[in-house]
Amino acid sequence: MADRESAEPATDEPTTMSNPEPTTTAETDSDESTGESAAAAAADRPAIAATDLSHAFGDVRVLDGVSLSVAPGEIVALVGPNGSGKSTLLRFLARVRAPDEGTVTIGASDGRARVGYLPQQPGFRAGFSATDTLEFYAQFVDDHVDVADVLERVGLADAADRRVDALSGGMTRLLGLGRALVGDPAVVVLDEPASGLDPGMVERLFDIVSDLADAGVAVVLSSHNLGPVERTADRVVVLDGGRFVADGDPRAVVESVGAADLQTAFGDLVATEEVTGR
Amino acid sequence: MSAGGRDGLGDLFAIAARELRTVVRTPAVVALSVVFALTVVAVAAAGSGARGGYVPLVLDLVPFVEALVPLLAVALCYRAVLSDRESGELDVLRTFDVSRPAYVGGVYLGRGLALVFVVFGSLLAAGATVPVLSPPDPTFLALNEAADSPVAFLRFSVLAVLFALAVAAVALAVSAAARTARQAIALAVGLLVAFVVGVDAAAVAGLASGSLGIDAVPLVLAASPNGAFRSLVLGVAVETGGSTSPGAALAGLVGWVAVALAVAVLTAWRPVE
Repeated sequence: MADRESAEPATDEPTTMSNPEPTTTAETDSDESTGESAAAAAADRPAIAATDLSHAFGDVRVLDGVSLSVAPGEIVALVGPNGSGKSTLLRFLARVRAPDEGTVTIGASDGRARVGYLPQQPGFRAGFSATDTLEFYAQFVDDHVDVADVLERVGLADAADRRVDALSGGMTRLLGLGRALVGDPAVVVLDEPASGLDPGMVERLFDIVSDLADAGVAVVLSSHNLGPVERTADRVVVLDGGRFVADGDPRAVVESVGAADLQTAFGDLVATEEVTGR
Repeated sequence: MSAGGRDGLGDLFAIAARELRTVVRTPAVVALSVVFALTVVAVAAAGSGARGGYVPLVLDLVPFVEALVPLLAVALCYRAVLSDRESGELDVLRTFDVSRPAYVGGVYLGRGLALVFVVFGSLLAAGATVPVLSPPDPTFLALNEAADSPVAFLRFSVLAVLFALAVAAVALAVSAAARTARQAIALAVGLLVAFVVGVDAAAVAGLASGSLGIDAVPLVLAASPNGAFRSLVLGVAVETGGSTSPGAALAGLVGWVAVALAVAVLTAWRPVE
């Protein structure tokens, strides 16, 4: 990783590309459009923009000058091996942690500055029902929140009165998604939202994500479910060794390494040996 | 803070309501509260205090309150913030632009209300045994009504509530500062021991070695919630006529609350912006 770092300029210019034909850059707010959603990005200010994020845990540098901007209505999927810094980057985007260096700016042209956030392991206070839990969070937003509608959107209408400690792992994650959607934030950050869900629920989850994007919400998610990511995301950003090694339309990313699908391309793009010890 | 965020006071009350509901639904805390209430009432019923009047009952109860109130306060609060941190809810609350003072204030208000209810309610129940257990006043003695009255017991109960709130604030600071359950337990036990025996022992040791003058003892005792509470009980509630002003002890209790809540606010989380 040290070699790669020393070889790359520490700027927010196009991130490290292990493939010879970069599909696009991490900066979509000023360069020419390359993806379908980039047109919207050019026409509008980014919903969220991270600039030159760097962070280290002790001696381990997890992010190294990473920049990313996401347009309203755009779905950006962050993929990378375990330990590559995805969750750390998402925490910075959700503004629950501060990076050592760099800034995160929320567009909030319509005043919706809250970032909806689904942590990797969502937790809830035991003893309360799913409805109680969302009603609690609904108190912190100005607008009236139809909690029953939120539960319906995430497929938990039948579990509305169930105690959160009696929910399955997948249902807990869906409740976490519902909590992230309380107050209709303009930006939603989802850390492995599909983890622990059965295939049907994974499809349902990505449908929800598509609906959010159609409603103009900027979505940044991390996922190891590369099939649905390839079908749903407007952009795929591959994080490895603290840098973006690919960034662009899923089809373009796949074609850039001559792979058949994103799963195969992922294997070609990441230097897994660099992260196994992390 | 977002432009659209609710006011901080509304956030504080929302947090407080959840804390109250949580306490009521936590069997261990409810059981401990019942044990506290039964103990206090049993001391009143079984001891000689209640038969002698309100002031003797206060003197009977002081050592029990000094030991049990910190235990109850710590049990209620020592993991309050930590559990939200461990579950990730602290992170999510931050995405709703809940401020640190609103969060800590809400937790303190909610848990503090539960504590006040248990402590004050239990002591009132104990006080209610006095008229039942006291023998009728002898007719051949002229009694000074002011020397023993329910007012003295009420003052004692209010001071016990203040004492409980001071220890609760310290326990809340522990829960905010600790990053693991083990840290929280170690800190809570350490503080309990320091409060219940540590400061008294230090005062005695200081006197024995000559490094502390007798005039400095009240100030040293005021430095711990237990010592301050005892000084206030003896100086204000039962009016033993001590020469020391209760001001130092009261300042000690209020100081613990203020400093502990400030520590809790500062350590709950690190602001991003």
